[in-house]
Amino acid sequence: MSTASSLHHSRKRKNSVMMVLCVVAAGIGLAWLALILGALIYKGLSGLSLAVFTEMTPPPGDAGGLLNAIYGSVVMTVIGVVVGTPIGVLAGTYMAEYGRFSRLTTIVRFINDILLSAPSIIIGLFVYELMVRPMGHFSAIAGAVALAILVIPVVVRTTEDMLNLVPNALREAGTAIGAPRWVVIRSVAYRAALSGIVTGILLSIARISGETAPLLFTALNNQFWSSNLNAPMASLPVTIFQFALSPYEEWQQLAWTGALIITLTVLGLSIFARSLTGRREDR
Amino acid sequence: MKPMLSTELNTPDAVVDKAKIEVKNLNFYYGQSKALKDISLSLPERSVTAFIGPSGCGKSTLLRVFNRIYELYPKQTADGQVLLDGQNILDRSQDLNLLRTKIGMVFQKPTPFPMSIYENIAFGVRLYEKLSKAEMDGRVEQALKRAALWTEVKDKLNASGLSLSGGQQQRLCIARTVAVKPEVILLDEPASALDPLSTAKIEELIDELQADYTIVIVTHNMQQAARVSRQTAFMYLGELIEFDRTEKIFTSPREKRTQDYITGRFG
Amino acid sequence: MTIVSEATPSSDSMRSRDATVRRFALTDTVFRESTRFSAILVLLILGGVAISLFAGSWEALSKFGFSFLTTESWNPVTENFGALSPIYGTIVTSGIAILIAVPIGIGIAVFLTELCPRPLRRPIGIAVELLAGIPSIIYGIWGLFVFAPFLQTTIQPFIINLFHDVPGLSSLFAGPPYGIGLLTSSLILAIMVLPFITSITKDVFDTVPAVLKESAYGIGCTTWEVTRRVVIPYTRVGIMGGVMLGLGRALGETMAVTFVIGNAHRISASLFAPATTISATIANEFTEADGSLYTSSLVALGLILFVITFIILAIARYMLMRIDARTGA
Repeated sequence: MSTASSLHHSRKRKNSVMMVLCVVAAGIGLAWLALILGALIYKGLSGLSLAVFTEMTPPPGDAGGLLNAIYGSVVMTVIGVVVGTPIGVLAGTYMAEYGRFSRLTTIVRFINDILLSAPSIIIGLFVYELMVRPMGHFSAIAGAVALAILVIPVVVRTTEDMLNLVPNALREAGTAIGAPRWVVIRSVAYRAALSGIVTGILLSIARISGETAPLLFTALNNQFWSSNLNAPMASLPVTIFQFALSPYEEWQQLAWTGALIITLTVLGLSIFARSLTGRREDR
Repeated sequence: MKPMLSTELNTPDAVVDKAKIEVKNLNFYYGQSKALKDISLSLPERSVTAFIGPSGCGKSTLLRVFNRIYELYPKQTADGQVLLDGQNILDRSQDLNLLRTKIGMVFQKPTPFPMSIYENIAFGVRLYEKLSKAEMDGRVEQALKRAALWTEVKDKLNASGLSLSGGQQQRLCIARTVAVKPEVILLDEPASALDPLSTAKIEELIDELQADYTIVIVTHNMQQAARVSRQTAFMYLGELIEFDRTEKIFTSPREKRTQDYITGRFG
Repeated sequence: MTIVSEATPSSDSMRSRDATVRRFALTDTVFRESTRFSAILVLLILGGVAISLFAGSWEALSKFGFSFLTTESWNPVTENFGALSPIYGTIVTSGIAILIAVPIGIGIAVFLTELCPRPLRRPIGIAVELLAGIPSIIYGIWGLFVFAPFLQTTIQPFIINLFHDVPGLSSLFAGPPYGIGLLTSSLILAIMVLPFITSITKDVFDTVPAVLKESAYGIGCTTWEVTRRVVIPYTRVGIMGGVMLGLGRALGETMAVTFVIGNAHRISASLFAPATTISATIANEFTEADGSLYTSSLVALGLILFVITFIILAIARYMLMRIDARTGA
């Protein structure tokens, strides 16, 4: 009797210890998020002023802003999304609709999942070999293509998943009324899956707007204002990289401020994207 | 003794109307497995035909052959002949979209499209006809009236089709089907997901629609088949067991299996 | 009259119907083929990556051959390049990161599925996933300016003193405390892969049939025993898939590591020593590399990274597909 009860006690004690450790683990995860955000706000907020959004990146030792870097980031992100999204949506459409049962779909799904987690610096090297080397110089358009290649797998994945959630009965109903397949897809399936697909696109924007590695040797960087897509272009992440590793205090401050801007943008986008699908699940 | 599937059996004697759909030696396969075995029957124009039988007997499969909706899925194949006004719709050259404008279908669960009530109906019409706004309004109204839904929704045509109740949604689907002016309407257990009151409305509707359309209804509810149909086909394990006038099937079936089924001994 | 016209369209409208049917057949084909082409494009991109990396690294690979993998020296002046130290740095940092992140990630998953009050589940889950959304350059700048100085002034001197006369450990934790180095990179990587491991573990935990857990609780098991004896064994393949996915991320992570690894092409026993990884070497040196052999050697590093991550990610996907197949059935 006493051994049984002591066994019971040791089991309960072990359970308590492990459960406390699990709570500690969750605490560690949340603490880290708080530490990083706290440092960003503490270091970045002090440098946040109107000048950041109205002035160009300064030469070493001078004050200035991040206007050209922000502009470059927006331009390349927009082009990346505009190029990558249609390809991603169409490929996802093939996998969930026309090719749902085909062998090609199985292969594409597998390869796409690998692209989804592939190191982004590899994509940078690929676009360097594909565009920069043949063209002979770095360019904003090469940077945008690298970002587009990062957008595609995210959009493919969510589009396929969301279209797969559309009940087949809805497709049959559209088909039974005499609508050709592509009209059923466009007017029925896309509509039913819309919020999910938009979430995927937003998440892909969130992902590429903070990407640095694929831009390092495609768009390079540019200390001056440039809207020429065929020339090197500044971007927020690459500017942060360059400024943070510099010995100049002004540059380091701008790097922190830029980091705060990017983080708020990216986190805002992901929270907004999640709230879209969250509402969907509730319905 | 296994009765021959003679022509006498396949055309109910009392029905002398012109055949709208004639099925000849139809077989259907899901991959390797045979789901319909040598089905032959003919469905008269402008009347209601019911398919009954236990689940898995092939009644829905047979219905899904008539508009070839099964083509959405791989490895589903049919051979034999299905003649619509004398033309074989199983022919490779048959255009599927055109076929489906002639043969409409309503499903077990209501399937309103994710758009407004008005658009749910206009969507199908717009595919093949160019109508002015006024003509389209008229067509939508006519279809909703035909489906006995007009008075309930006429003030909220722009509301989402999903906002309607289950019974209303199903009538919206019937309106949508009627709006594109088909010749045949296939109903796949159209009331099985509905409450008794909505079911009664749907049955009433079917009765009215048969003046203009050839209607085929699959149902697991024998009373429903008895109430709405003029002729009934009893199917079992992929075979057509018996096809005759409805009152004959329900009062003096020729086959023992039919009798066992309608008296509730199995299925 | 009206009834007849309702059911049979006039021959005029039949003709326009035929034209529409032909148009539909064409547009449907165009749309179908463009979706198919886009799907194939995904394959072409991966193929293109492989081919371009191979072509770009050809010069280095043909010059150094297999010894590229086994040479530690990386000397741009004498144009003698070997990939051993970046490979070592990549594997060690990722390995340590996984060792740290796996228990914490599983702990968080257990917390979220078994302990967390229901209303807090979603916010905490999202908060952990936000860690995955933070761009890697942010981890880098935070690691360099906040985390590394903290380690340098507090943790590292403490550990060095603690182990300085323990054989083995003394060389593993040999000073001086730079702040940056292998261990710092590993810790940052651990934070970065944590959300991936957590979210996949949580997902596969949710696939455990409730009846299985209930019957274990029914015979008097504690929460930990149910987790240890039922949930984890049942989801082992899925957890391994999540771990491999995290490992794939860690191996290829660039910017965060570039900030805090120290960029030294040498292999030292101490975890506090500066080192380098494949991706950090490429990020640091690619734009400054002069001479085609130097560039080609960097691309060759990229090829090695591509091959390693491809294999790891393929294994991860294979494992996760097995879990999917089971829940699908």
